[in-house]
Amino acid sequence: MLNSLIQQLNNSGLPLNSFAQLSFYFIAGLTCLFAFLVVASRNVFHSAVFLALTLLSVSGIYLLLDAQFLAVVQIIIYVGAIMILFVFCIMLTSRISDKAIRQVNQQVLFSLTLALIFLAIFYILIIKSPWLSSGAEIEPLSLKELGRSLFSKYVLPFEVISLVLLAVMVGAIAIGKARKE
Amino acid sequence: MVKFTHLIPVFPFIAFLINIFFGRKIKKVSALVSILFSTVSFLVSIFTFIGFLNGEGSYVVYRFLSFNNTALDFGVTVDALSCMMLLVVTCVGTLIQVYSIGYMEKDPRFSRFFAYLSLFMTSMLSLIIADNLLMFYMGWEGVGLCSYLLISFWFEKMSAARAGMKAFITTRIGDTGFFIGILLLYFITGSVYFKDLSALDTQNNLFYIAALLIFCGAIGKSAQFPLHTWLPDAMEGPTPVSALIHAATMVAAGVYLVARTYSLFMLNEASLAVVGVIGAITALMAASIATVTNDIKRVLAYSTISQLGLMMLGLGVGGYSAGTFHLMTHAFFKALLFLCAGSVIHGVQTQDLLKMGGLFKKMKATSITFVIAALAIAGVPPFSGFWSKDEILAEALNNGHPVLFSAALLTSLLTSFYMFRLIFLALFGRPRSELHAHESPKVMTIPLGILAFFSIFIGLLGSPFTHHAFQNFIAMPGLHHQEEIAVNYLAMGLSILVAFLGIALSYLFYIRNNKILAESVRAKFKPLYNLISNKYYFDEIYDFLFVKPALRLARISSGFDSGVVDRAVNLAASQTIVLSKIQAWFDRYIVDGLVNLVGIVFQVSSGALRRMQTGLIQNYLLVAFFGIILVIIFKLIGGN
Amino acid sequence: MIPQSHFLILSAIIFCIGLFGALTRRNAIGILMSIELMINAANINLVTFNKFLGSPDGLGQVFALFEIALAAAACVVGLTLVISIYRNAKTIFIDKINLMKW
Repeated sequence: MLNSLIQQLNNSGLPLNSFAQLSFYFIAGLTCLFAFLVVASRNVFHSAVFLALTLLSVSGIYLLLDAQFLAVVQIIIYVGAIMILFVFCIMLTSRISDKAIRQVNQQVLFSLTLALIFLAIFYILIIKSPWLSSGAEIEPLSLKELGRSLFSKYVLPFEVISLVLLAVMVGAIAIGKARKE
Repeated sequence: MVKFTHLIPVFPFIAFLINIFFGRKIKKVSALVSILFSTVSFLVSIFTFIGFLNGEGSYVVYRFLSFNNTALDFGVTVDALSCMMLLVVTCVGTLIQVYSIGYMEKDPRFSRFFAYLSLFMTSMLSLIIADNLLMFYMGWEGVGLCSYLLISFWFEKMSAARAGMKAFITTRIGDTGFFIGILLLYFITGSVYFKDLSALDTQNNLFYIAALLIFCGAIGKSAQFPLHTWLPDAMEGPTPVSALIHAATMVAAGVYLVARTYSLFMLNEASLAVVGVIGAITALMAASIATVTNDIKRVLAYSTISQLGLMMLGLGVGGYSAGTFHLMTHAFFKALLFLCAGSVIHGVQTQDLLKMGGLFKKMKATSITFVIAALAIAGVPPFSGFWSKDEILAEALNNGHPVLFSAALLTSLLTSFYMFRLIFLALFGRPRSELHAHESPKVMTIPLGILAFFSIFIGLLGSPFTHHAFQNFIAMPGLHHQEEIAVNYLAMGLSILVAFLGIALSYLFYIRNNKILAESVRAKFKPLYNLISNKYYFDEIYDFLFVKPALRLARISSGFDSGVVDRAVNLAASQTIVLSKIQAWFDRYIVDGLVNLVGIVFQVSSGALRRMQTGLIQNYLLVAFFGIILVIIFKLIGGN
Repeated sequence: MIPQSHFLILSAIIFCIGLFGALTRRNAIGILMSIELMINAANINLVTFNKFLGSPDGLGQVFALFEIALAAAACVVGLTLVISIYRNAKTIFIDKINLMKW
């Protein structure tokens, strides 16, 4: 979707790099903003909505990274399925609009410091690392190849994942079932 | 077709597992489970039989043990004898299980009962198909165990519990001999396989001893003199059990054992003679006791002992096919007799013959089948018992054993007498007490009908009309039976004569001259009557010879225990108490003090430390991340 | 052409936000959401390396797929536990849930 848009824009004569960069920084900025709002909202329900938006933006990032299939999966599974779960859970458990209740614990400052230090370390590491790069342009992975490797080379982990999902389903039902007493 | 034979015992075992583990859940369905699996066994037995007729034979299933230079394979014997036994046991067993649905209907341990029956079938069938003595012995002990469990099934009754123990211990005496016999045989020949037995031809006296020891096992299991006392007591168990175990199958295992190892007995005339004489004694003795017993089931129990004695007699005079033929026919009509008796007991709620009478009108189906069974056992032609009993008589006469022949003939007379005494007392005449008899449910009478059919017609298989088909089928290869079997008209005539004589006598005693004649006979033979009605004082003799001395020994030992051993122990104890008082003081103030000190130290320090454990997971997480950051920083600094 | 490091920095930022959330939210559902953020950051890394280092069988993307599935599984179990805790303790503030501490 986005790529075809880029393709069209490319045809229209705009420099590709600058547009791709522009869209990346835009989407990246949105992602960070939404992510921050997820943790900063007082209302859990708002958090859930911002989480959905964050996940959508992340799927945009995937598109920019030529991972179209993953972007679609991200939307279907995260935004489609997991978010529903979150919303249900919120509605089942808490009084969502109660603003009087404090939503964060006492270790905010310390945690913030720690997170910032962590980010700084990351930043230094990423900047300083000599990233391996094969100078030539790498062909983006086609969906066909992805499917083939998923069902041939990685078929065993694939099946294991399905088993895990089954186990999770059974476990969730067993835990979540209301007790008789 | 034969390839599945080794699975025959497995099916009832599955039923046993299901019933023992899930019996409480599935309740009445357990009967269906048992019946279903034993029916499957029956079908597989038929396939085996067909396969055998097509010339397929024994095979080995798997190697069980291998040591030094010998190995023990578990195999399956497929021959005429085992085919016959498989068919009889699975067929009778299945019918009895069907019957038990009705009989045990109200029992609280319904599914447990069927589990035991299935386990019993498993043991019995694995005993039948065994191709070596060791495997045979395992099945043998299995049936012993099941017999114990089933006899004392109503263990709330003291007498039932005691009867179970008596059966177990008595048969154990025989089993011990049997096991020594197996070991001896292995010692001589280095093999426990049946197929190696037929190849023996030495005149080694040890074989004679081994044969006698193995016969010991048969004596115990088949309730032969002098180990017969357990079988009448075993009637404390539920009636289907009496039918299955103590008529059709388990007690027949002893006869089957002798037939299986027959070539060993054939090595020595003397061992055959022992078998024959023991059989004759048993047959006569039990038959005479049966004439004066008033408990309907005990009459049948003594009748079983007597018939088993007759089979042993048949085997002993060299009538291999005659003995096995009688084994087969007996399985059917004796199971029928027991089931009929069960049906009568079910109907009138008493086992005392003297309280019954006139039941014929109230219990038509039961009575008709009862009479058929009685005619069969009494040896009235053309019922099955006639052909097989006649065969034994003929063998005894042909092979030159006049004494044994007359014993068998006398037994036949007594048999028809006591059988019809039972029939006349229970079914005819006027009711002797207020009994509200009623016919049993269909599920009980239908097996009766099927068994009655077999009781009438199964004998024809071995009759001259079918040219002794059964005898030719069962005959051991290499035995003299390959030659023509001559019909002995003398034996046949005498046999018919005594059968009718017995019926006539009992008619005279119990229908016509109801009391007077019986009383006069009783008065004339007073000592004999007392001897017989006290079962030849066997229980008293055993009590005097074995139980009393054992108890006396136990009492002396107990006196020694309390007088000498206990006193010594008490002395040691008082010494110990003084010593331990000193130790207690030391313990309390020094050892405990130290331990408590350690405890206090830990209590104080942990009271301080427990503040570190906030119980808040995010605290822990925070500290963990803090640690990670420290690690990364140290790594970075170290790296640079 | 966007340099690889920018993607990585983006993922680092999201990760740290998620970490901060996981450390500070009192609400158990909020914590679960923060964990989802962290998982997403990891996924971005995987896809980025797949794109820039190249791999004929798309190992990075395949791995990211598996990760999404596992994250969903973890999330389901987590939320079920939250409901179960709520049913028993009538709260989902996890600093209230310290029964195990003596």
